[in-house]
Amino acid sequence: MSGDRVGIIGIGQSAFRARRDDANYPELVREAVVMAMADAKMDFDAIEAVVYSLSPDAMVGIGNAERLGVDAVGGRMKPFLRINTGGATGISATAAAYYHVASGAFDVVLTAGADKVGECGDSQSVLNKIWDPSYERPLPLGTINMLAMSGVRYMQQYGMTEVDMARVTVKNRRHASLNHNAHLRKPVTIDEVLDSRIISWPIKLLDCCPQSTGGAALVLASEKYIRDNHLDAVWITGVAHTAETYWMGDRMGNNPTAEHSGAHALARSFERSYKMAGIKDPMKQVHVAELYAPFSNTEYHAIDSARLCGRNGESIQRLRDGEYELGGRIPVNPSGGTLCTNAIAVTAMARVAETALQVWGRAGAHQVEGARVGIASGNGGDHQIFGTMVIEA
Amino acid sequence: MGLKIQPGVIGCAIRPSIASRDRSLEEIIYDTAQMALKDAGLTIDDIDGIAVGSNDQFDGRSISVMMASGSVGGVDRDIMSTPSGSEHAFILGALRVATGQFRTQLVVSWSPTEVSSMPEAQRLGNDPYFHRALPQDELSAHALQASALENAVPGARSAAEAVAAKNRAFGAAAFGDHGTAGKMRWPLTPGMTSEPVTGAVAMVLASPEFIAERWIKNVAWVQGMGWATEAAFLGDRDLTKAPALSAAAHQAYKMAGIANPDGAFGVAEMTDATPYSELLAYEALGLCHRNDWAARAADGTFGASGKLPVNPSGGVLTWNPVFCTGMIRIAEIAQQVRGLAGKHQIPGVKRGLAHAGSGFAMQYQAAVVLGQEARP
Repeated sequence: MSGDRVGIIGIGQSAFRARRDDANYPELVREAVVMAMADAKMDFDAIEAVVYSLSPDAMVGIGNAERLGVDAVGGRMKPFLRINTGGATGISATAAAYYHVASGAFDVVLTAGADKVGECGDSQSVLNKIWDPSYERPLPLGTINMLAMSGVRYMQQYGMTEVDMARVTVKNRRHASLNHNAHLRKPVTIDEVLDSRIISWPIKLLDCCPQSTGGAALVLASEKYIRDNHLDAVWITGVAHTAETYWMGDRMGNNPTAEHSGAHALARSFERSYKMAGIKDPMKQVHVAELYAPFSNTEYHAIDSARLCGRNGESIQRLRDGEYELGGRIPVNPSGGTLCTNAIAVTAMARVAETALQVWGRAGAHQVEGARVGIASGNGGDHQIFGTMVIEA
Repeated sequence: MGLKIQPGVIGCAIRPSIASRDRSLEEIIYDTAQMALKDAGLTIDDIDGIAVGSNDQFDGRSISVMMASGSVGGVDRDIMSTPSGSEHAFILGALRVATGQFRTQLVVSWSPTEVSSMPEAQRLGNDPYFHRALPQDELSAHALQASALENAVPGARSAAEAVAAKNRAFGAAAFGDHGTAGKMRWPLTPGMTSEPVTGAVAMVLASPEFIAERWIKNVAWVQGMGWATEAAFLGDRDLTKAPALSAAAHQAYKMAGIANPDGAFGVAEMTDATPYSELLAYEALGLCHRNDWAARAADGTFGASGKLPVNPSGGVLTWNPVFCTGMIRIAEIAQQVRGLAGKHQIPGVKRGLAHAGSGFAMQYQAAVVLGQEARP
């Protein structure tokens, strides 16, 4: 598809923290936008349209808070819309920006957002409100116990242990220690993870992502614009979404419509984006992966779904063998991933940004040597809406 | 700006008011999506992707698309969601078809009224320090705009009264007299707004290749579309102008190859949250300068037998399903172009113009041109 591609030409990310008392919500968005614009060496006049990335309004306490971000992204009098697919929002917004360009409507599009999850009070209280008010909300469901149930099922089906879960945290914290933008950068040991307090068994405190504050932004452009202006870029060659059932009860019991141990819609989404990018054997063709996994156990079914191993569950042994470490066969989450940084509105955009930096060779201390093809994913809703991308140098 | 592939609207379901209480929101959304598919002569199996427009505050849920993904057929499909405006869902669906990566898109939006207080839900959309304390809701923002216009434009009041009467008459002809007087907020008087109602809308978009393959003949082609936003703070805006709509119209007309909008359309639907919104739209869309509002409103230019009938559906002044009013305007024009608008069909429409506005005093603006002619 040479000549008709969509490239990423600018990337901005905050150094994510628990709190940012020095910046209000629009200022956080602006911070990331300014970085992306500087990275693209571009001024705002060149931006033709904006896609705003913001997940639940309640996280920032303002309804349709994207309206207050219009000035932060330089959006006045420009085409502007917002995307919300929950945790997948950042990759969905990037996909929407991609569609803006790939449709032929625009040559240069900005996508940006920010979140203050670390300052929202209790994100699980907000996230409980994603469920149906009559049936599943009163259980009470949250995203932690939802994915703890997935972990229990994964243990039963594939033999994952609590130590295996801890191994993911240890790996990703080691990676995050090399990434100056990551929120949790302190390396930890398996024993420290196992000794941390239980949040919802088998998930312990150190198996959980943090509540992070920060912003992210990307500038996308058409191949023609990039060539005409002699710009450097990496290319989005595959993009897709797939959803599964809303109802948790439909993933359990005697006749489930989806297997809750896994992420079959994520697998379908990857199938679609691989097909678009012409990737037939991901284990051979993919060099780096940034997979949305907010709890340690969920990285396994993300790896399974991305087909970075053989059959489902094989990811457990391969991770034990160090295949997904920096320096391993296919490093997974070399940035530290969602497990070390989760500013929900832009977490999945950070997955895209980090993958882009990797294939660009600009990832710094956590660079994967020789990475030319990378993949990114984002999970939204109650493990329900999955966005995926293939990004190539 | 031009689309690589021209999308066409091949199916619509417009449900501007759903009074029945015996269907849940999930069922209303399911019914509406199925009606649009039936209108297109398709089944959900023909749909490649879905774009949804919904609002968390009105739905009382975080990530309101989640609940609907089953109802719209989103399970195992490529689904995306925008909460900024229902019209943005249409735009997203059209862009996705235009990439060539999707042959079809189902676009769905809805607006329930189960929230205990619509003004309170809207008030949450203000910044927490200044405007929320006023308190500002959409009606008060519209009223401020109306007041500013009355002050700036001689004759605006009488023009607004005439527009309200026109749209009420259109609404009565289309739907009978249902008498939603609306709330007052100075200078808005009874008849200048209408009460929020539950509503839903769905549209099916397809690529020329799909349309040809299926021998679909009745198509409203997307000839042009544009959208833009103003700043959020009312204090940063001149409420007597609609520059974002001018920008959106410029994009849409450029894409459609329309140099002079005067006389270019057989019908228009505009987001008349108040009649003042419609007056502002006349000007921003290049159809009537403000100095002529009073005269044109009085002489019936935009009436049933005028040069350009505006809001033959009765507009928002007739039915106000708040969040999805913008996309309903687009769907109404699609049905007018397809000759399927029902009792309020304007004869001989070949091309129509839809205006969608949303947010406080129409912060978000969009213009969509639909017509019978596919581009060469």
